[in-house]
Amino acid sequence: MSSSVRTKLAGKHNPTLAMLLSIVFAGFGQLYNRRYLKGVIFIIIETSFLITVLPWLNYGLWGLRTLGTIPGTDHSIRLLVFGVLSLIALIILGTLYVFNVLDARKQAMKIRDGWKPLPFKETMRTVYDTAFPYLMTLPGLLLMVFVVIFPLIFSVLLAFTNYNLFNSPPRHLVDWVGFENFKNLISVDMWKDTFISVFAWTIVWTVVATTLQIGVGLFLAVMVNDPRIKFKKLIRTILILPWAVPAFVTILIFAAMFNDEFGAINRDIIIPLIGGDGLPWLSDPFYARIAIIMIQTWLGFPFVFALFTGVLQSISKDWYEAADVDGGSRLQKFRHITFPHVMFATAPLLIMQYAQNFNNFNIIYLFNEGGPPVRGQNAGGTDILISWVYKLTFDTNNYAMAAVISIIMGLLISGFAFYQFRQTRSFKEEGEI
Amino acid sequence: MNKKLSFLVLAGFIAVTLLLTACTPDRPDEAEGNGEEGSDEKAEKPESLTIWANDEEKQLKAIEEIAARYEEEKGIKVNVDTVSMLDQTQELSLAGPEGNGPDLFFQPHDRIGNTVAQGLAEPVEFSDGALEGYSDAAVDAVTYNYDGETNYYGYPAVIETYGIFYNTDIVEQAPETAEDLKRILENNTNPDSDEYGFLMKPNDLYFSMPFFYNYGGYIFGGDTGDYDVNDIGLNNEGSVEAAEFYQSFFGSGKIPPSTTTDVIDGLFNEGKVGAVINGPWSIVGYKDALGDSLAFAPFPSINGEPAQTFVGVKSWMVSYYSEKKDWAHDLAEFMTNKENLQYYYEVAGELPPNKEALESIEDPIYSAFADQIEHGVPMPSTPAMQQVWEPFNNALQFLAEGEDPKPVLDEAVKQIKTNIEASGQGE
Repeated sequence: MSSSVRTKLAGKHNPTLAMLLSIVFAGFGQLYNRRYLKGVIFIIIETSFLITVLPWLNYGLWGLRTLGTIPGTDHSIRLLVFGVLSLIALIILGTLYVFNVLDARKQAMKIRDGWKPLPFKETMRTVYDTAFPYLMTLPGLLLMVFVVIFPLIFSVLLAFTNYNLFNSPPRHLVDWVGFENFKNLISVDMWKDTFISVFAWTIVWTVVATTLQIGVGLFLAVMVNDPRIKFKKLIRTILILPWAVPAFVTILIFAAMFNDEFGAINRDIIIPLIGGDGLPWLSDPFYARIAIIMIQTWLGFPFVFALFTGVLQSISKDWYEAADVDGGSRLQKFRHITFPHVMFATAPLLIMQYAQNFNNFNIIYLFNEGGPPVRGQNAGGTDILISWVYKLTFDTNNYAMAAVISIIMGLLISGFAFYQFRQTRSFKEEGEI
Repeated sequence: MNKKLSFLVLAGFIAVTLLLTACTPDRPDEAEGNGEEGSDEKAEKPESLTIWANDEEKQLKAIEEIAARYEEEKGIKVNVDTVSMLDQTQELSLAGPEGNGPDLFFQPHDRIGNTVAQGLAEPVEFSDGALEGYSDAAVDAVTYNYDGETNYYGYPAVIETYGIFYNTDIVEQAPETAEDLKRILENNTNPDSDEYGFLMKPNDLYFSMPFFYNYGGYIFGGDTGDYDVNDIGLNNEGSVEAAEFYQSFFGSGKIPPSTTTDVIDGLFNEGKVGAVINGPWSIVGYKDALGDSLAFAPFPSINGEPAQTFVGVKSWMVSYYSEKKDWAHDLAEFMTNKENLQYYYEVAGELPPNKEALESIEDPIYSAFADQIEHGVPMPSTPAMQQVWEPFNNALQFLAEGEDPKPVLDEAVKQIKTNIEASGQGE
């Protein structure tokens, strides 16, 4: 064929037809475009999908919609898991299908406009070049879908069901209840009152405990970094030690030390020094909160200390010398040189500290299981949201309500983290600064 | 950007359409396993059975030996898998539908309500004569009413309750009444040197329930195994009286309200405490520490009556998912016959629920436990019981701290009721 004929033919090539063909059956449009290999691949994918995956998908989706209809035979929670999996598979396949349609159209348009396909080898090379980054991230992405996204969707969906002990499979079926659980959380007194007081304490706990651990870490790092301090290595090693001891061991020891009657803190420190009967560390919510914040500070400061020490070393001496020339005071040097430097380099990690403490289940639960009890409330005096969710799930078997609170927690944390990360520069993409 | 969006919208649209059009798949009409139950004949002998045993060394050793005996007698191999008793129901509900569950699993009776509500356990029919062998408390414990039908739900294998351990160096004679106990407490306590006549954890309903029972309090109305969860008797007149009496054990010069289990065990083992309340599981530890000075007595009488302590029964239950139910029942019955229970007691040190086996115990401590079991009351097995523990333990803590009993108990009961409602039980 001469090139003029080809151009003529190309002018007749119809993009709409290509699109329609590939909607009818994936790959037909590509065949029409004379992209045979691609067309065959799409045809194989759709055929195998229709033959093998469709019944499976149908079962999963049906399960997701109804959560089973025959108690004893249908296991609602398995159906839910299955349903979420099929939904993920479906979205992947759907994306492929839409891609196939758009691809057929785009290519047909190109052919109409006189585009000539490159030789096979060339095509493969361009595909390889453009697709390489995607190829490399694909395994990670797939892993992410199943390890993170799948459980996330599962627990979000759980919040819209009535899953509790008395609807548990195999004997019973779980049902969709829409926003019922959310409504209960803000309207039923028992949930509302407890939720508000626990939430308030969670915020106080997060802010105070984390700020304190960062403050102590910063203070010690600056002190130890002072040129007049001798034996820096030894002091640093000692200050890192609380981090080296497993946290649960530390917490349990502290719990014993804080015991009102038998603990070392009352017995050997408070009573001999101040007198009286000692402080009610474990039985009064106020003191229990103080104790728990102090323990967290103890556990958390070494990490911050290590972090800041590293950054402090890297601040150039020139800054301070320049400040000395200008007659800057010690405080001014700290405020305008040290502090901004340290914060700039570590902000994302510090934000993570806040997020971590927001969900710091270990310390709350190991210290005294969220106690002491508070009269007329179904969470203890030091219970934070996460430990309250734990109690809800395991003591009252109210899985749905626990899922609701988890969603709220997740949204809060991610909202906060997102906002903060946007504010700090470390996570901005190149050129965005 | 626009293109990306249209991609997602289209894919999502397809997904939703399919979600709504998905139709009912074919399934076997009947629930698995229920099909053959009507027939009298035993199903064919299977090659093997699987049981889940608690992950405790001595118990496991005993179970494995008994399993070997069964294989020898019936020619069916028994696989003993170790799964902690606390995790078994949860694991069963996950592994069961996949066909990886056991034929028999091992649970304390107070979990029966939960297990039955989820439909994980099959009812049990004792063969003739088997029932008479068990002590009454054991049979009561595994009886449970679900949805108007009363059934037995397990083969009792272990029975336990608690009483008073005392150190004969400090307490010469076992306390017979609660007043004796209080006298021991008052006469032998010297907080400055950590010496106490008697210690108990203030916030533990399990150990303090006899006080309430004996003054006329109760947890749930109705009969054993068929509880009325809307009728809670923990703030009636008797309970308030009991609370006042209970309260008189705590305070300065008496039991400190911040006492914990660690403190009790630590000081008792050091020989600084006269008497403590505990169950047979603590015998080994105490004996190692105190040697011959350790003695045991049934719980002192309260309000002029023998104390009604909580009785716990651990039993073998047949899994709903088992495909060899007939033989699972057969194995459970074999494992809980008198001979095997006796053997299990000797190896694992857990008391047998069989009457004759209980009576033939010679060890003075264990036989005192056996006496106490006669006055025992099974812990309520309804799932609602799970909602009682925490609110009432907290109430006991408030009592120990000296707060006014009536409002504390009223609040606790109110909270128990809302918790029961929140958990989805009780209409």
